[in-house]
Amino acid sequence: MNEQETPNTEPSRREFVIAAGTAAASTSVLGLAVLDAPAAEVQGGAAVRAVGPGGVQVAFTVNGQKVQVTVEPRVTLLDALRNYLDVTGCKRVCDRGTCGACTVMIDGKVIYACTMLAVEAQGKQIRTAESLIANEQLDRVPAAFVNADAQQCGFCTPGFVVAMKAVFEGNANPTPAQVEKGLQGNICRCGTYEQMRDAIYALCNQKRGK
Amino acid sequence: MPWPVNRRLIGRSHRRLDGPDKATGRAKYAFDVKRPRMIFAKILRSPHAHATIRSIDTAAAEKMPGFRALHIIKKAGADVFFAGDEILAIAADTEEKLDDCLRAVRIEFTVLPHYVKESESLRSPTNTAGGAGATNIVGVGDLATDNFAEVAFNGAAATHQGDYGIAVISHQCLESHGLVAEWDDKLQNLTVWASTQAVPATAERLRVVFGLQPGRVRCITNYMGGGFGSKFGPDIQGETAAHLARTARMPVKLMLDRAEEVTVGGIRPSAYGNVYIGAAPSGQIKFYKVDCYGTGGTSRGQTVNFGLLPYVYGPGIPNIKRKHRVVRTNIQISRAMRAPGHPQNAILTELAIDDLAAKLDKNPMEMRLINLPPNDSADAAANPRTFPGMRATIYRREIEIIRRMCNWDQNWHRPGAGQGTIRTGLGMALHTWGGGGNGPNPTRVTINANGTVLAQSSSQDLGTAQRTVTAIIVAEILGLQPSEIMVDIGDSSFGPSTGSGGSTTCPGTSASTLKAAETARDAFLMALAGRLNTQPAMLSIEPGVIVNRANNNQRIPFRQACGMLGVPSVQGNADWPTVPDRAQNAALREEWQTRLTNLGVGGVQVAEVKVDTETGVVRCSRFWAVQDCGMIINKLACESQVAGGVIMGINYALYEECIYDRATGRQVNPDMEFYKLGGIQDMPNIYVHMMDMPERGVIGIGEPPTIGTAAAVGNAVFNALGVRVPYAPYTPERVLAALANRR
Repeated sequence: MNEQETPNTEPSRREFVIAAGTAAASTSVLGLAVLDAPAAEVQGGAAVRAVGPGGVQVAFTVNGQKVQVTVEPRVTLLDALRNYLDVTGCKRVCDRGTCGACTVMIDGKVIYACTMLAVEAQGKQIRTAESLIANEQLDRVPAAFVNADAQQCGFCTPGFVVAMKAVFEGNANPTPAQVEKGLQGNICRCGTYEQMRDAIYALCNQKRGK
Repeated sequence: MPWPVNRRLIGRSHRRLDGPDKATGRAKYAFDVKRPRMIFAKILRSPHAHATIRSIDTAAAEKMPGFRALHIIKKAGADVFFAGDEILAIAADTEEKLDDCLRAVRIEFTVLPHYVKESESLRSPTNTAGGAGATNIVGVGDLATDNFAEVAFNGAAATHQGDYGIAVISHQCLESHGLVAEWDDKLQNLTVWASTQAVPATAERLRVVFGLQPGRVRCITNYMGGGFGSKFGPDIQGETAAHLARTARMPVKLMLDRAEEVTVGGIRPSAYGNVYIGAAPSGQIKFYKVDCYGTGGTSRGQTVNFGLLPYVYGPGIPNIKRKHRVVRTNIQISRAMRAPGHPQNAILTELAIDDLAAKLDKNPMEMRLINLPPNDSADAAANPRTFPGMRATIYRREIEIIRRMCNWDQNWHRPGAGQGTIRTGLGMALHTWGGGGNGPNPTRVTINANGTVLAQSSSQDLGTAQRTVTAIIVAEILGLQPSEIMVDIGDSSFGPSTGSGGSTTCPGTSASTLKAAETARDAFLMALAGRLNTQPAMLSIEPGVIVNRANNNQRIPFRQACGMLGVPSVQGNADWPTVPDRAQNAALREEWQTRLTNLGVGGVQVAEVKVDTETGVVRCSRFWAVQDCGMIINKLACESQVAGGVIMGINYALYEECIYDRATGRQVNPDMEFYKLGGIQDMPNIYVHMMDMPERGVIGIGEPPTIGTAAAVGNAVFNALGVRVPYAPYTPERVLAALANRR
C-alpha cells in the first residue's frame, strides 16, 4: 500500500518516520498537529514538517489521568510510560513486538507498547494493568489469575491480564478457545498456561473438562 | 514429628499473597525501579566470537550530549572469547542519549579463529576459548565398572546402539539480568535493587569488589522476574553499574536488553552421545555404555551429570562404561539451569531404553518397572525416610498412578503402529533430584500489640510463592490465616540466607520459619499467661482465638490477646543449626535434615504427541506428571511448579535452540521471535498428581518436574512414528529427515 492510499488520517509509523527523516534539519520543535495532518499533506514535499530530533511534548491519558511528557520522537510508548512516567505494569522484555509483556490498551484496542512511538499516542486513551485494581477491588480478570495461581515470577502477567481483559471487553461471552486465541501474542517463561486455562474457564463460567 | 500433626493450612491450596500486586503491575521489580536523578547504562560488547582488542577510542563518545560516565571492562590488548563479551560500559542521562554515546565508540579488533559448533570444536587442534589447555577439550571423564568389556555382553538377548542429543538453550529470563545501583553522598554505602536469586550473596560480592566494610552494601529484591539458575550474583553487569554509579555520583540502572539476555545471560549446555545398551530376555538391562560430549560455551564444567549416567536406573545396571568430553566453544558461559545436567542425562538414558524395549518387543512401562533402581537397604536401615531407601517403592506407586491417569494400557501401542497422516504416540520418562534444605536461613516472627504479625527473612521469591509459604507456616502455628501475616523478604539488611538454587529454598526457609513461629508463639503465651495470672500450659491456640483453660475455656480473640501483652511486641528467632553442630549432634541432624526437611525425590511423566507425517510438525497434545516432594506446604503452588516445569521441558523438546552462525560466530536468534517459546495454544492440558508424603519433611520441587519432560516427548515421538528422531529440538525438519532416512 502506498501512502496516498492510506485510508485514515492518522500517520502510520512508516509515514511518521518518513516525515521525521526528510526534515531532520528543521530546528523548530513543532506541536503535534502535524501528526494529525492528512497523509497526502505529509507526502506533499514542501509542506513536510517534522518533530525532533530534540524533545517533543506529548499528551495522552493513562488510566484516566491526563499526563504530559517531553520525549525525543524516537522514544517508544513503552519507554515513555516506564522511564518517563513511572508506569511500570507494562514490562520491557523482547522490545520488538513478540512477547506481549508490554501489552496495553489504546482506545480499547490491545497493542504492544514497544511497537508504537510515544508521539503516535498523542491524545489517546491508554490503559495498563494498573487500571484493573481500584480501592483494593480487583477486576475479575486479574482476580481469576490470582485464584487459579496463573502466575509465577509475574513479569509477563500484567501483559496477559490486559490481553485477556481486552478479549472480554470486545466479547461479553467468549468461548475459552476465543480467549486463548487472544493470548497467543503473549509468552510466559515460567509456564503458567495450565493455570491460565483454569482462569479462562472460570471467567467463561464453564467447567473445565480436562 | 516436628511439624504439627493436625494441619489446618499446610498441605492445602492457598492463593499467593502477592498475586494481586503482580497481576495488576503494582509489584516493583528491579527493572521497574526509578530513583531520583537516576541515569542509564549499557555495555558495549564484542561483535566477534574471538578477537584481540587492538584499540579503544572513547573520545567522541565522552563528548556526546548526555554522557555521564565510562567504565572500561577490557583494555586494549585483551582477548574477547565470544560475540557478546563485555568491553566497556557507558552511563548517560537517557537511554536514547546512551545509544548515541555507544555508537560513537570506536574499537579495532584483530579477529581470531573461533568455533561455535560442538562437532567442529571437538576436532579443533587449538584452544580458541581461553585459559589453560592446548585444545578446546577439557574435563574428560572416562569410567567403567570392573571388567566391563569382558562381562558386559554376556546374556544380552537384545542390544541397541543409537545417537541422541539435545541442543544449547538459553535461560531467557523475562526480567533480564541487571540492577539499579545507588551510592550515598560519601560513597561509603551502596544500595542495589537487583534481579537475583541470591540476595545476601549479591550484596556480599559487591562489598568485596569495592572493598567496603561489612554491612555497607544492601541488596533489595522485592520481586524478581524469572530465575532458573542464572542469577546468583551481580555479575559483570551489576558490578559495572555500581562502578558507573560511583563515577557519576548518580543512581544507575543497567538491565540487559533482550539480545544481551539471550547471548550472555547463561546457557544450558548441550549433550550429544552414542549409547550402546543391552538387556536379558527378561528385559533386565545388563549393560549401558555411553560416549558423550557437549558444550557449555567457554565454561569448563560438565554438560551432563557424569556421576548419574545412566540416569535413575544406574544402581540396578551391573555393567556401565561412560565417557564424557567437555568441548569448549566461543559462545557465552553456561549457568546452572533448572536441574543442571539432569535433563541431558534423561535424554541419554530414557531414549535408549525405549529403543531397546522396541527390540525386545516390550512395553516401555514394563521395561521401566523391571529396571527400577532397587531400594537401598543400607540407607533405609540408617534412616527410614531417606529417598534411596524407598525409591523403587515410590517409583512403582507413581507409575501405577500415571498408568491409570493416562490410561496407558489402552492408549499405548507398538512404535509406529498408528495409521494415517497424523500419528499419535505416548512416551514416558523418570527423574530424580535432591532438593534438600540448608542454612543459614534466620527467620524472625514478631507478634505486635496491635495484633499484626510480621515474618522476616532475607530470602527471595523467584515466582515460587515463597512469601506465601512463609505466611502459611506462621499462620498455621498462630491460628491465623495466611493473609493475616505480613512477610518481608528480599532484603539483605535482614541477614544471611541461602541462594535459591537446587530446589533448596522451600525446605531451607520452612524449617527455620516453623521454629521461629513456635518460639514466637511460646513467648506470646508466656507473656499472656502472666497478664492472665495463669500458666502458659493453661493457654492454647485455636483458629483466631486463645483458649484459657484456667478460666472456663475463655476464648480471647487473637488481636485482643495481643493488646493484653503489655509490651509492644514479642519475637521468635530461629535458624538452622550450623554444619558442625549438626555433624556432632545426631538428634539435631535427624530433626532438621530428616524430619523437618529431607532430600531426594522421584517423579514419572508421560507425554502424548501428535505428529504430522507430511509437515513434520510435532504437537504435544496431553501431558501427565506424578511427583513426590515430601510434605507439601501449598498444594496450589506445588501444582503450578510442576506444570511450569513440564511446559519448560516441552519448550526444550520441541522449540528451543540457540543457533549460531559458523562464519561470524554470532547467535542468529538472540530474541524471542526466532528463539522459540510456546504460547498458550502450543501447550497441552497438563494433568498433575502430587504425592503428599508429610512424614518425609519438606523437600524442594523447583527442578524435578522439568527433568524428564523432553525425554518423555522424545519417546512419544518415537512411539508415534516408529522411527527415532535423534536430536532435540524435534523440529519439523528433523522429523522429516528421520522419516526420510527410514525410507
